[in-house]
Amino acid sequence: MDLLDRYLQAVKKHLPWHRQDDIIAELRANLEAQFEDKETGLGRPLTTGEAEDWLRQIGPPRQVAARYKLQQYLIGPVLFPTYWFVLRTAVFWVMIAYSVGVAVQVAVRTPSWAALLEGVLRVPEVLLTTAASVTLIFAVIEYIATRYPGRWPALATSSVDWTPSALPPAEKDSAQGEKPRSRAHAVAAVIMIFLCLVWLLLLPHHPYVLLGPGAAYLSASPFQGAPVWIQVYWCVVALTLFQIIWRCIALYHGRWQRQRTAERMVIAALGLIPLWLMLSIGDHAYITLKDPALDQLRYGGALDSINKSIHLSLLLLFAINVLQLLWGIGRRSLDCYRKRAAAMQ
Amino acid sequence: MTIAENLFENLRMELRRGCLTLAVLAQLRQEHYGYTLRKALADRSLEIDESTLYPLLRRLEVQGLLTSEWREEDKRNKRFYHLSRDGEQIFGQLLEEWQAINASINSIL
Repeated sequence: MDLLDRYLQAVKKHLPWHRQDDIIAELRANLEAQFEDKETGLGRPLTTGEAEDWLRQIGPPRQVAARYKLQQYLIGPVLFPTYWFVLRTAVFWVMIAYSVGVAVQVAVRTPSWAALLEGVLRVPEVLLTTAASVTLIFAVIEYIATRYPGRWPALATSSVDWTPSALPPAEKDSAQGEKPRSRAHAVAAVIMIFLCLVWLLLLPHHPYVLLGPGAAYLSASPFQGAPVWIQVYWCVVALTLFQIIWRCIALYHGRWQRQRTAERMVIAALGLIPLWLMLSIGDHAYITLKDPALDQLRYGGALDSINKSIHLSLLLLFAINVLQLLWGIGRRSLDCYRKRAAAMQ
Repeated sequence: MTIAENLFENLRMELRRGCLTLAVLAQLRQEHYGYTLRKALADRSLEIDESTLYPLLRRLEVQGLLTSEWREEDKRNKRFYHLSRDGEQIFGQLLEEWQAINASINSIL
Protein backbone atom coordinates (compact mmCIF):
# COMPACT_ATOMS: atom_id res chain seq x y z
CA MET A 1 0.00 0.00 0.00
CA ASP A 2 3.04 2.21 0.26
CA LEU A 3 3.04 2.48 -3.50
CA LEU A 4 -0.61 3.56 -3.50
CA ASP A 5 0.11 6.19 -0.83
CA ARG A 6 2.94 7.57 -2.93
CA TYR A 7 0.75 7.54 -6.00
CA LEU A 8 -2.07 9.43 -4.25
CA GLN A 9 0.41 11.91 -2.83
CA ALA A 10 1.70 12.59 -6.34
CA VAL A 11 -1.87 13.06 -7.64
CA LYS A 12 -2.68 15.41 -4.76
CA LYS A 13 0.16 17.75 -5.71
CA HIS A 14 -1.52 18.48 -9.03
CA LEU A 15 -5.03 19.03 -7.69
CA PRO A 16 -6.63 22.41 -6.83
CA TRP A 17 -5.76 22.97 -3.17
CA HIS A 18 -9.35 23.57 -1.96
CA ARG A 19 -10.54 20.19 -3.34
CA GLN A 20 -7.42 18.11 -2.73
CA ASP A 21 -8.43 16.32 0.47
CA ASP A 22 -11.95 15.51 -0.67
CA ILE A 23 -10.85 14.13 -4.02
CA ILE A 24 -7.96 12.13 -2.58
CA ALA A 25 -10.19 10.62 0.13
CA GLU A 26 -12.66 9.45 -2.52
CA LEU A 27 -9.94 8.22 -4.86
CA ARG A 28 -8.27 6.36 -2.01
CA ALA A 29 -11.52 4.61 -1.06
CA ASN A 30 -12.14 3.56 -4.65
CA LEU A 31 -8.59 2.42 -5.37
CA GLU A 32 -8.21 0.57 -2.07
CA ALA A 33 -11.44 -1.29 -2.73
CA GLN A 34 -10.20 -2.16 -6.19
CA PHE A 35 -6.81 -3.19 -4.77
CA GLU A 36 -8.43 -5.49 -2.22
CA ASP A 37 -10.68 -6.96 -4.87
CA LYS A 38 -7.64 -7.81 -6.96
CA GLU A 39 -5.92 -9.47 -4.01
CA THR A 40 -9.05 -11.43 -3.14
CA GLY A 41 -9.30 -12.58 -6.76
CA LEU A 42 -5.67 -13.75 -6.77
CA GLY A 43 -5.85 -15.21 -3.26
CA ARG A 44 -2.55 -13.53 -2.37
CA PRO A 45 -1.10 -10.02 -1.97
CA LEU A 46 -0.11 -8.20 -5.16
CA THR A 47 3.59 -8.15 -5.92
CA THR A 48 5.30 -4.77 -6.35
CA GLY A 49 5.48 -5.38 -10.10
CA GLU A 50 1.75 -6.14 -10.34
CA ALA A 51 0.89 -3.08 -8.23
CA GLU A 52 3.08 -0.95 -10.50
CA ASP A 53 1.37 -2.33 -13.61
CA TRP A 54 -2.03 -1.58 -12.11
CA LEU A 55 -1.12 2.01 -11.21
CA ARG A 56 0.49 2.51 -14.60
CA GLN A 57 -2.79 1.42 -16.14
CA ILE A 58 -4.70 4.04 -14.13
CA GLY A 59 -2.42 6.73 -15.53
CA PRO A 60 0.32 9.22 -14.64
CA PRO A 61 -0.57 11.27 -11.51
CA ARG A 62 -0.55 14.59 -13.39
CA GLN A 63 -2.91 13.25 -16.05
CA VAL A 64 -5.29 11.77 -13.46
CA ALA A 65 -5.33 15.05 -11.50
CA ALA A 66 -5.94 17.05 -14.69
CA ARG A 67 -9.20 15.17 -15.29
CA TYR A 68 -10.57 16.65 -12.07
CA LYS A 69 -9.98 20.20 -13.20
CA LEU A 70 -13.00 22.15 -14.38
CA GLN A 71 -11.12 23.62 -17.30
CA GLN A 72 -8.71 21.53 -19.31
CA TYR A 73 -8.16 23.99 -22.13
CA LEU A 74 -7.13 27.61 -22.50
CA ILE A 75 -9.93 28.63 -24.88
CA GLY A 76 -12.94 26.38 -25.33
CA PRO A 77 -14.89 25.50 -28.48
CA VAL A 78 -17.65 28.08 -27.81
CA LEU A 79 -15.24 30.97 -27.59
CA PHE A 80 -12.65 29.71 -30.07
CA PRO A 81 -14.25 30.99 -33.34
CA THR A 82 -14.52 34.51 -31.84
CA TYR A 83 -10.96 34.27 -30.50
CA TRP A 84 -9.60 33.15 -33.86
CA PHE A 85 -11.40 35.96 -35.69
CA VAL A 86 -10.21 38.61 -33.21
CA LEU A 87 -6.67 37.23 -33.28
CA ARG A 88 -6.45 37.39 -37.09
CA THR A 89 -8.03 40.85 -37.19
CA ALA A 90 -5.79 42.19 -34.42
CA VAL A 91 -2.62 40.79 -36.01
CA PHE A 92 -3.62 42.22 -39.40
CA TRP A 93 -4.41 45.73 -38.17
CA VAL A 94 -1.49 45.88 -35.76
CA MET A 95 0.83 44.96 -38.64
CA ILE A 96 -0.69 47.72 -40.81
CA ALA A 97 -0.42 50.29 -38.00
CA TYR A 98 3.12 49.18 -37.18
CA SER A 99 4.22 49.29 -40.83
CA VAL A 100 2.83 52.79 -41.32
CA GLY A 101 4.41 53.86 -38.01
CA VAL A 102 7.81 52.50 -39.03
CA ALA A 103 7.54 54.10 -42.50
CA VAL A 104 6.68 57.51 -41.01
CA GLN A 105 9.41 57.20 -38.38
CA VAL A 106 11.99 56.29 -41.02
CA ALA A 107 10.89 59.25 -43.15
CA VAL A 108 10.74 61.82 -40.34
CA ARG A 109 14.08 60.90 -38.78
CA THR A 110 17.14 60.54 -40.95
CA PRO A 111 16.02 57.78 -43.31
CA SER A 112 18.44 54.88 -43.51
CA TRP A 113 18.44 51.21 -44.38
CA ALA A 114 19.57 50.42 -40.82
CA ALA A 115 16.45 52.06 -39.32
CA LEU A 116 14.27 50.21 -41.83
CA LEU A 117 15.99 46.91 -41.05
CA GLU A 118 15.49 47.51 -37.34
CA GLY A 119 11.78 48.05 -37.96
CA VAL A 120 11.54 44.82 -39.98
CA LEU A 121 13.44 42.81 -37.36
CA ARG A 122 10.99 43.90 -34.68
CA VAL A 123 8.03 42.45 -36.62
CA PRO A 124 8.12 39.00 -34.89
CA GLU A 125 8.17 40.72 -31.48
CA VAL A 126 5.16 42.87 -32.41
CA LEU A 127 3.27 39.85 -33.78
CA LEU A 128 4.01 37.67 -30.74
CA THR A 129 3.06 40.44 -28.30
CA THR A 130 -0.24 41.03 -30.10
CA ALA A 131 -1.06 37.32 -30.27
CA ALA A 132 -0.10 36.78 -26.63
CA SER A 133 -2.20 39.76 -25.46
CA VAL A 134 -5.29 38.59 -27.37
CA THR A 135 -4.82 35.02 -26.13
CA LEU A 136 -4.43 36.20 -22.55
CA ILE A 137 -7.62 38.28 -22.71
CA PHE A 138 -9.61 35.36 -24.13
CA ALA A 139 -8.10 32.91 -21.63
CA VAL A 140 -9.33 35.17 -18.82
CA ILE A 141 -12.80 35.39 -20.41
CA GLU A 142 -12.87 31.59 -20.77
CA TYR A 143 -11.75 31.15 -17.17
CA ILE A 144 -14.52 33.41 -15.85
CA ALA A 145 -17.13 31.97 -18.22
CA THR A 146 -16.31 28.42 -17.08
CA ARG A 147 -16.64 29.29 -13.41
CA TYR A 148 -19.54 31.73 -13.64
CA PRO A 149 -21.55 30.56 -16.65
CA GLY A 150 -24.61 32.64 -15.73
CA ARG A 151 -22.68 35.90 -15.96
CA TRP A 152 -21.61 35.42 -19.57
CA PRO A 153 -24.85 34.60 -21.37
CA ALA A 154 -23.80 36.58 -24.44
CA LEU A 155 -20.96 34.18 -25.20
CA ALA A 156 -23.26 31.27 -25.79
CA THR A 157 -25.87 33.24 -27.72
CA SER A 158 -23.64 35.60 -29.71
CA SER A 159 -23.79 33.34 -32.76
CA VAL A 160 -27.60 33.39 -32.66
CA ASP A 161 -27.80 37.17 -33.13
CA TRP A 162 -26.65 37.29 -36.73
CA THR A 163 -29.12 37.86 -39.55
CA PRO A 164 -28.59 36.48 -43.06
CA SER A 165 -29.70 39.79 -44.60
CA ALA A 166 -26.78 41.54 -42.90
CA LEU A 167 -24.29 39.45 -44.92
CA PRO A 168 -22.23 41.34 -47.54
CA PRO A 169 -23.52 41.12 -51.13
CA ALA A 170 -22.35 38.14 -53.18
CA GLU A 171 -19.20 38.77 -55.21
CA LYS A 172 -19.83 38.82 -58.91
CA ASP A 173 -18.51 35.88 -60.88
CA SER A 174 -16.33 36.18 -63.92
CA ALA A 175 -19.25 37.02 -66.22
CA GLN A 176 -17.66 40.35 -67.07
CA GLY A 177 -14.55 38.55 -68.27
CA GLU A 178 -12.43 39.67 -65.33
CA LYS A 179 -10.84 36.84 -63.36
CA PRO A 180 -11.49 37.17 -59.58
CA ARG A 181 -8.35 37.80 -57.54
CA SER A 182 -7.24 35.43 -54.84
CA ARG A 183 -6.70 36.68 -51.31
CA ALA A 184 -2.96 36.00 -51.65
CA HIS A 185 -2.93 38.14 -54.79
CA ALA A 186 -4.70 40.98 -52.98
CA VAL A 187 -2.35 40.76 -49.98
CA ALA A 188 0.67 40.70 -52.31
CA ALA A 189 -0.67 43.86 -54.00
CA VAL A 190 -0.91 45.63 -50.62
CA ILE A 191 2.64 44.55 -49.74
CA MET A 192 3.90 45.85 -53.10
CA ILE A 193 2.22 49.22 -52.61
CA PHE A 194 3.64 49.35 -49.10
CA LEU A 195 7.15 48.69 -50.46
CA CYS A 196 6.53 51.49 -52.97
CA LEU A 197 5.70 53.78 -50.05
CA VAL A 198 8.93 52.83 -48.28
CA TRP A 199 10.83 53.45 -51.51
CA LEU A 200 9.15 56.85 -51.86
CA LEU A 201 9.99 57.80 -48.29
CA LEU A 202 13.65 56.90 -48.80
CA LEU A 203 13.83 58.94 -51.99
CA PRO A 204 14.49 62.52 -50.66
CA HIS A 205 17.55 61.51 -48.64
CA HIS A 206 18.68 58.67 -50.86
CA PRO A 207 18.21 59.72 -54.52
CA TYR A 208 20.41 56.73 -55.32
CA VAL A 209 17.33 54.47 -55.06
CA LEU A 210 15.81 56.34 -58.05
CA LEU A 211 18.76 57.42 -60.11
CA GLY A 212 21.39 54.86 -59.21
CA PRO A 213 24.94 56.13 -59.89
CA GLY A 214 23.34 59.11 -61.71
CA ALA A 215 22.56 60.59 -58.27
CA ALA A 216 26.19 61.68 -58.01
CA TYR A 217 25.86 63.63 -61.30
CA LEU A 218 22.69 65.31 -59.98
CA SER A 219 24.49 66.81 -57.01
CA ALA A 220 27.35 67.94 -59.22
CA SER A 221 25.12 69.36 -61.99
CA PRO A 222 24.18 73.05 -62.19
CA PHE A 223 20.44 72.14 -62.21
CA GLN A 224 17.97 71.62 -59.36
CA GLY A 225 14.30 70.83 -59.00
CA ALA A 226 11.78 73.62 -58.38
CA PRO A 227 10.03 73.75 -54.93
CA VAL A 228 6.82 72.43 -56.53
CA TRP A 229 8.40 68.95 -56.62
CA ILE A 230 8.21 68.80 -52.81
CA GLN A 231 4.43 69.43 -52.90
CA VAL A 232 4.05 66.86 -55.67
CA TYR A 233 6.18 64.38 -53.72
CA TRP A 234 3.96 64.61 -50.63
CA CYS A 235 0.84 64.34 -52.81
CA VAL A 236 2.18 61.06 -54.23
CA VAL A 237 3.05 59.79 -50.72
CA ALA A 238 -0.46 60.63 -49.49
CA LEU A 239 -1.99 58.97 -52.55
CA THR A 240 0.03 55.78 -51.94
CA LEU A 241 -0.96 55.75 -48.27
CA PHE A 242 -4.58 56.25 -49.27
CA GLN A 243 -4.34 53.26 -51.62
CA ILE A 244 -2.88 51.07 -48.85
CA ILE A 245 -5.68 52.02 -46.46
CA TRP A 246 -8.34 51.48 -49.14
CA ARG A 247 -6.98 48.03 -50.01
CA CYS A 248 -6.68 47.06 -46.33
CA ILE A 249 -10.29 48.02 -45.68
CA ALA A 250 -11.34 45.99 -48.74
CA LEU A 251 -9.35 43.02 -47.44
CA TYR A 252 -10.89 43.40 -43.99
CA HIS A 253 -14.41 43.40 -45.43
CA GLY A 254 -13.61 40.46 -47.72
CA ARG A 255 -13.90 42.53 -50.93
CA TRP A 256 -10.58 41.61 -52.46
CA GLN A 257 -11.87 39.53 -55.34
CA ARG A 258 -11.81 42.36 -57.86
CA GLN A 259 -10.56 45.89 -57.97
CA ARG A 260 -13.59 48.14 -57.72
CA THR A 261 -14.37 50.67 -60.43
CA ALA A 262 -14.93 53.17 -57.64
CA GLU A 263 -11.38 52.65 -56.40
CA ARG A 264 -9.95 53.12 -59.89
CA MET A 265 -11.93 56.31 -60.41
CA VAL A 266 -11.05 57.81 -57.04
CA ILE A 267 -7.34 57.04 -57.53
CA ALA A 268 -7.47 58.46 -61.06
CA ALA A 269 -9.22 61.63 -59.81
CA LEU A 270 -6.77 62.09 -56.93
CA GLY A 271 -3.90 61.42 -59.33
CA LEU A 272 -4.87 64.59 -61.21
CA ILE A 273 -3.97 66.74 -58.19
CA PRO A 274 -0.15 66.44 -58.45
CA LEU A 275 -0.37 66.80 -62.21
CA TRP A 276 -2.48 69.93 -61.82
CA LEU A 277 0.01 71.33 -59.30
CA MET A 278 2.79 70.86 -61.83
CA LEU A 279 0.86 72.35 -64.72
CA SER A 280 -0.23 75.39 -62.73
CA ILE A 281 3.36 76.50 -62.10
CA GLY A 282 4.20 79.82 -63.78
CA ASP A 283 6.60 79.89 -66.77
CA HIS A 284 6.95 76.08 -66.54
CA ALA A 285 10.09 76.29 -64.44
CA TYR A 286 10.25 72.67 -63.26
CA ILE A 287 14.02 72.67 -63.31
CA THR A 288 15.99 75.72 -62.30
CA LEU A 289 19.67 76.67 -62.15
CA LYS A 290 21.47 76.47 -58.84
CA ASP A 291 23.38 79.63 -59.68
CA PRO A 292 21.52 81.55 -62.43
CA ALA A 293 23.97 84.46 -62.45
CA LEU A 294 26.81 82.10 -63.27
CA ASP A 295 25.18 79.52 -65.51
CA GLN A 296 22.30 81.32 -67.26
CA LEU A 297 24.34 82.13 -70.30
CA ARG A 298 25.75 78.67 -70.68
CA TYR A 299 22.72 76.46 -69.79
CA GLY A 300 19.74 78.83 -70.21
CA GLY A 301 18.79 77.51 -73.67
CA ALA A 302 19.03 73.86 -72.71
CA LEU A 303 17.02 74.54 -69.54
CA ASP A 304 14.17 76.12 -71.54
CA SER A 305 14.04 73.09 -73.83
CA ILE A 306 14.00 70.66 -70.84
CA ASN A 307 11.20 72.58 -69.09
CA LYS A 308 9.12 72.80 -72.26
CA SER A 309 9.50 69.04 -72.81
CA ILE A 310 8.46 68.33 -69.21
CA HIS A 311 5.46 70.63 -69.56
CA LEU A 312 4.37 68.93 -72.77
CA SER A 313 4.73 65.48 -71.21
CA LEU A 314 2.74 66.55 -68.16
CA LEU A 315 0.04 68.04 -70.35
CA LEU A 316 -0.22 64.78 -72.29
CA LEU A 317 -0.30 62.75 -69.07
CA PHE A 318 -3.00 64.99 -67.64
CA ALA A 319 -5.11 64.63 -70.80
CA ILE A 320 -4.75 60.82 -70.74
CA ASN A 321 -5.75 60.70 -67.06
CA VAL A 322 -8.78 62.94 -67.63
CA LEU A 323 -9.86 60.76 -70.57
CA GLN A 324 -9.42 57.60 -68.47
CA LEU A 325 -11.46 59.13 -65.69
CA LEU A 326 -14.22 60.19 -68.06
CA TRP A 327 -14.18 56.73 -69.63
CA GLY A 328 -14.54 55.17 -66.17
CA ILE A 329 -17.39 57.48 -65.22
CA GLY A 330 -19.10 56.76 -68.54
CA ARG A 331 -18.82 52.99 -68.08
CA ARG A 332 -20.04 53.20 -64.51
CA SER A 333 -23.01 55.32 -65.53
CA LEU A 334 -23.85 52.91 -68.35
CA ASP A 335 -23.67 49.92 -65.96
CA CYS A 336 -25.96 51.70 -63.51
CA TYR A 337 -28.40 52.56 -66.30
CA ARG A 338 -28.44 48.94 -67.55
CA LYS A 339 -29.01 47.60 -64.05
CA ARG A 340 -31.83 50.02 -63.46
CA ALA A 341 -33.38 49.17 -66.81
CA ALA A 342 -33.07 45.43 -66.07
CA ALA A 343 -34.68 45.92 -62.67
CA MET A 344 -37.61 47.79 -64.19
CA GLN A 345 -38.34 45.03 -66.75
CA MET B 1 -0.18 3.79 -33.94
CA THR B 2 -0.93 4.48 -37.62
CA ILE B 3 -2.85 7.55 -38.77
CA ALA B 4 -5.95 5.43 -39.46
CA GLU B 5 -5.76 3.81 -36.02
CA ASN B 6 -5.29 7.19 -34.39
CA LEU B 7 -8.26 8.60 -36.29
CA PHE B 8 -10.40 5.62 -35.30
CA GLU B 9 -9.36 6.00 -31.66
CA ASN B 10 -10.27 9.71 -31.65
CA LEU B 11 -13.66 9.07 -33.25
CA ARG B 12 -14.32 6.15 -30.90
CA MET B 13 -13.55 8.34 -27.88
CA GLU B 14 -15.83 11.06 -29.23
CA LEU B 15 -18.63 8.53 -29.78
CA ARG B 16 -18.18 6.98 -26.34
CA ARG B 17 -18.05 10.26 -24.41
CA GLY B 18 -21.77 11.04 -24.56
CA CYS B 19 -22.78 7.38 -24.26
CA LEU B 20 -20.74 6.96 -21.06
CA THR B 21 -22.53 9.89 -19.41
CA LEU B 22 -25.85 8.31 -20.33
CA ALA B 23 -24.75 4.91 -18.99
CA VAL B 24 -23.52 6.44 -15.72
CA LEU B 25 -26.78 8.34 -15.23
CA ALA B 26 -28.75 5.17 -15.99
CA GLN B 27 -26.72 3.08 -13.54
CA LEU B 28 -26.99 5.71 -10.82
CA ARG B 29 -30.74 5.35 -10.57
CA GLN B 30 -29.41 2.97 -7.91
CA GLU B 31 -26.91 4.24 -5.38
CA HIS B 32 -23.24 3.40 -5.97
CA TYR B 33 -19.83 4.55 -4.93
CA GLY B 34 -17.14 4.93 -7.55
CA TYR B 35 -15.66 1.45 -7.59
CA THR B 36 -18.94 -0.49 -7.45
CA LEU B 37 -20.31 1.72 -10.21
CA ARG B 38 -17.28 0.90 -12.34
CA LYS B 39 -17.78 -2.83 -11.64
CA ALA B 40 -21.50 -2.63 -12.41
CA LEU B 41 -20.81 -1.00 -15.76
CA ALA B 42 -17.99 -3.46 -16.52
CA ASP B 43 -20.38 -6.35 -15.79
CA ARG B 44 -22.50 -4.98 -18.63
CA SER B 45 -19.43 -4.85 -20.90
CA LEU B 46 -18.96 -1.12 -20.50
CA GLU B 47 -15.40 -0.69 -19.30
CA ILE B 48 -14.49 2.81 -18.12
CA ASP B 49 -11.05 3.90 -16.92
CA GLU B 50 -10.81 5.05 -13.32
CA SER B 51 -9.30 8.33 -14.46
CA THR B 52 -12.36 8.94 -16.65
CA LEU B 53 -15.16 7.72 -14.39
CA TYR B 54 -14.27 9.29 -11.05
CA PRO B 55 -13.79 12.85 -12.37
CA LEU B 56 -16.96 12.40 -14.47
CA LEU B 57 -18.94 11.72 -11.29
CA ARG B 58 -17.61 14.97 -9.81
CA ARG B 59 -18.55 16.95 -12.89
CA LEU B 60 -22.07 15.50 -13.00
CA GLU B 61 -22.49 16.39 -9.35
CA VAL B 62 -21.30 19.97 -9.93
CA GLN B 63 -23.83 20.16 -12.77
CA GLY B 64 -26.57 19.12 -10.35
CA LEU B 65 -27.37 15.80 -12.03
CA LEU B 66 -26.09 13.70 -9.12
CA THR B 67 -26.20 13.96 -5.36
CA SER B 68 -23.59 12.41 -3.11
CA GLU B 69 -22.96 11.63 0.53
CA TRP B 70 -20.04 10.25 2.54
CA ARG B 71 -20.95 7.10 4.44
CA GLU B 72 -19.06 4.33 6.18
CA GLU B 73 -19.24 0.88 4.64
CA ASP B 74 -16.99 -2.08 5.43
CA LYS B 75 -15.07 0.09 7.91
CA ARG B 76 -14.18 2.53 5.14
CA ASN B 77 -15.57 5.96 4.30
CA LYS B 78 -16.99 6.02 0.80
CA ARG B 79 -18.74 8.61 -1.30
CA PHE B 80 -22.06 7.32 -2.60
CA TYR B 81 -23.70 8.85 -5.65
CA HIS B 82 -27.33 8.87 -6.71
CA LEU B 83 -29.29 10.46 -9.55
CA SER B 84 -30.79 13.79 -8.42
CA ARG B 85 -34.30 15.01 -9.30
CA ASP B 86 -32.89 17.25 -12.04
CA GLY B 87 -30.71 14.36 -13.11
CA GLU B 88 -33.75 12.09 -13.51
CA GLN B 89 -35.45 14.64 -15.75
CA ILE B 90 -32.40 15.21 -17.92
CA PHE B 91 -31.66 11.50 -18.05
CA GLY B 92 -35.20 10.92 -19.41
CA GLN B 93 -34.64 13.53 -22.13
CA LEU B 94 -31.20 12.18 -23.01
CA LEU B 95 -32.57 8.65 -23.18
CA GLU B 96 -35.27 9.75 -25.65
CA GLU B 97 -32.64 11.50 -27.74
CA TRP B 98 -30.37 8.49 -27.70
CA GLN B 99 -33.20 6.15 -28.69
CA ALA B 100 -34.17 8.46 -31.55
CA ILE B 101 -30.57 8.59 -32.81
CA ASN B 102 -30.26 4.83 -32.44
CA ALA B 103 -33.48 4.28 -34.37
CA SER B 104 -32.36 6.67 -37.12
CA ILE B 105 -28.99 4.99 -37.50
CA ASN B 106 -30.61 1.57 -37.55
CA SER B 107 -33.01 2.69 -40.25
CA ILE B 108 -30.09 4.09 -42.29
CA LEU B 109 -28.17 0.85 -41.89
